[in-house]
Amino acid sequence: MKIAVLIKRVPDTASVFAINPDQKSVATDKLKFVMSPYDEHAVEEAIKLKEANGADVVVVSLGPDSAKEVMRTALAMGADEGLLVTGAGTDSLTSKGVAEALAAAVKSIGAELVFAGKQAVDDDASQVAERVAELLEMAHASVVTKFELNGGTAVVNREIEGGSYTLELPLPAVITIEKGINTPRYPTLPNIMKAKKKPIAEKSLADLGLSAEALAPGVVLESLSLPRQNRRNHIIDGDTPARVNELIRLLKEEEKAL
Amino acid sequence: MSDRLADMRHIRFLLYEIFDVESLTQYEHFADHSKETFEMALETGYKLAREVFWPAYQPFDREGIHFKDGHVTTPAGMKEIWKQCKEGGWFAPGADYDYGGQQFPHLLTATTSYLFNCANTSAYMYVGSAAGAALLIEKYGTDEQKAEYLEKLYSGTWGGTMCLTEPQAGSSLGDITTTAVPENGHFKIRGVKRFISSGDHDLAENIVHPVLAKLPGAPPGVKGISLFLVPKYRLDGTYNDVATAGVEHKLGLRAQATATLNFGEKDDCHGWLLGAENRGLECMFALMNGARIHTGIQAVAGASAAYQCALQYTQERLQGRSVSSKDPSAEQAAIIKHPDVRRMLLHQKAFVEGNLSLLLFTAKLSDIRHASTDEAEQQRAHLLLEILTPIAKAHCSDGAFESIRLALQCYGGAGFCEEFPVAQMLRDNKVYSIYEGTNGIQAMDLLGRKVPMNGGEALRALIQEISETIDAARKLEPLKEMAQSVEDIQNTVAEVTMHLGAIGMSGDREMYICNASDYLDMFSAMVIGWQHLQMATAAQKALDAGSDDKDFYTGVVKTASYYCRRSIPKALAIATILKSNERTALDYEEAWF
Repeated sequence: MKIAVLIKRVPDTASVFAINPDQKSVATDKLKFVMSPYDEHAVEEAIKLKEANGADVVVVSLGPDSAKEVMRTALAMGADEGLLVTGAGTDSLTSKGVAEALAAAVKSIGAELVFAGKQAVDDDASQVAERVAELLEMAHASVVTKFELNGGTAVVNREIEGGSYTLELPLPAVITIEKGINTPRYPTLPNIMKAKKKPIAEKSLADLGLSAEALAPGVVLESLSLPRQNRRNHIIDGDTPARVNELIRLLKEEEKAL
Repeated sequence: MSDRLADMRHIRFLLYEIFDVESLTQYEHFADHSKETFEMALETGYKLAREVFWPAYQPFDREGIHFKDGHVTTPAGMKEIWKQCKEGGWFAPGADYDYGGQQFPHLLTATTSYLFNCANTSAYMYVGSAAGAALLIEKYGTDEQKAEYLEKLYSGTWGGTMCLTEPQAGSSLGDITTTAVPENGHFKIRGVKRFISSGDHDLAENIVHPVLAKLPGAPPGVKGISLFLVPKYRLDGTYNDVATAGVEHKLGLRAQATATLNFGEKDDCHGWLLGAENRGLECMFALMNGARIHTGIQAVAGASAAYQCALQYTQERLQGRSVSSKDPSAEQAAIIKHPDVRRMLLHQKAFVEGNLSLLLFTAKLSDIRHASTDEAEQQRAHLLLEILTPIAKAHCSDGAFESIRLALQCYGGAGFCEEFPVAQMLRDNKVYSIYEGTNGIQAMDLLGRKVPMNGGEALRALIQEISETIDAARKLEPLKEMAQSVEDIQNTVAEVTMHLGAIGMSGDREMYICNASDYLDMFSAMVIGWQHLQMATAAQKALDAGSDDKDFYTGVVKTASYYCRRSIPKALAIATILKSNERTALDYEEAWF
């Protein structure tokens, strides 16, 4: 069985963030990058499955060459190989384009099971894995806190408000993983040495039969800004209708929130 | 609690920009490594330190170890730490592939060890003790002993210790009374060993004790000491009559089982000779020299964690207003704004960075000595290591205690309370000036042995290294003053060495040794000033090349400048004392105390 794990290289959330003067990108030179924490749980779940049932675990990522650093970490945890989608046109994609590229990558390796973190901690979009499932016409369950393989069926628990429910999915399937499911192992030193020798294949969009134009986002990024640090408060006086009107005016005109 | 225990930016600066750890991969022994493996080990090590070792730091101190019916139980959670280290291969990161290691350079493993020690020395010492015993066997064991013990120790299946001290013989090892009597292919061991770190615990199937003992008819003193391997359980599983008589109740490192061990209470303790007869101390010193430098690592790591805690606290704690502010209703300032607090923080930063630099330099030297095939290069590394070891042990530990004293001071009254971790950090750190040869012994080792060795060859090698750094720094305008300052202390050390040398040669040994501790302090300022100058040179070059990491590099240069302007002048003043032939302590009669 082949398991693909979608992983993303993201800035460590403990980093100090700055926006570039163009206000459209984050300054990356002082950021420390790590594997998105939810993805670590996804890698762990795949390796546990491999240890229990035997499987080939392929970590799949999209990004610059430096994304290999986090892929190596996954290999040092016990994954078998990597596939990186990289090169021209991969740096400006939104969730839609990333999903199309990753779907093509997953298809190229013939994975029956795809794990991913429930979201990436940089953009929190929670879209890529779901889109991959749609594109590949695979069954899908998100925010999974328990996973079991029962023959050709996956049995999972999903977190919902105030409880959880159990789903059965036919394979192939895409599963996104929530934190509580397991404790990701630390890479071991022997595995760090082995990881160096494990293969990480590279594919361009063209190799996957895609083009940057076809994956163009269709949305325009207007600007980025950091969360405002200083808190302000307004106490609005008057009777209730007047206060509501004033609140709406403030949200519209001053906060530009509406 | 701060979860930042060390400045990883500075550590990477040392590894990659100062000591060029990647250059070690030129040696065949390290050829499989690359920046990639170093980075992954470093990242994983820091993660383990923060997530596994550190959360146990205060709870372990509060719980301590338990001793009942002759057995030690470690605090709750220690077994999990042992297990993580075992699974992760952390018992033998640097050992040969043949014995289950990964052949990481010592420069890298000294760094990861530093990180674990930043987080929890009591806990990490259990791991380190096993690796230490293994190192002795790797070096002096027969092929059979290597096959029997190494894999078990390096995998964390067994624990290890080193047993030197006895109740009546600590610093004076020549007076040990433990005996080893030959009998049917082994020796019967009998004696009591005290202050044995990791001496007993519940973490491993067996504990292997390398034990110093005397053969019948052995010459008196240190020349009659032999080294024996004494497992708690023999290889066939039989209990080997190694009994834990008790554990110490200590000021610090309270999760460490510092045990008194009775060997052969029932006359049934077997030992096996390790190395040659009557050469035991020499063998043990192969481990001991490394252990002394490791003590420096423990000490500076503790100072690093305390500094990081203090830094965070002083950035958050509001108290008072700027001394130049006259408005009592103005908002209170974070205490880092106060001049004396800044001075204390800067002292700590300069201490940690300068001394870690020295420690990693010694680690690189030991890599070169181990892996180089060029005899001259090896010999040079050996000489430098010899002369720098007492500095790495004594200066790092004395300075770390002082540095943590200032960290605690930054907290004000809160620092005196055990709720914050600095109080424990101060307690934990005290032992480093005592064990592995007290700092008084280190000072005698420096002045009495290392400086005069081979006609001053080691000192000359060191002076040459320092001079090269001074020359390189002088070429950079902003570092000229700093370079001069290091040259001043270097010249002064040379002068004082000549002065004391003349006293030594006149035969006044007591007068010579009476000056050893102050000499070590002065000598250390030269060594640490040199490390700062080396860092400042690299940082200045990065700034001149237009690096955008300006805050970091400027910080390195300014810290070096602080050290040269505030610490070196104090060390220069020591020369006045050392040249004054001051001998009150020698002439002071006991009745006058």
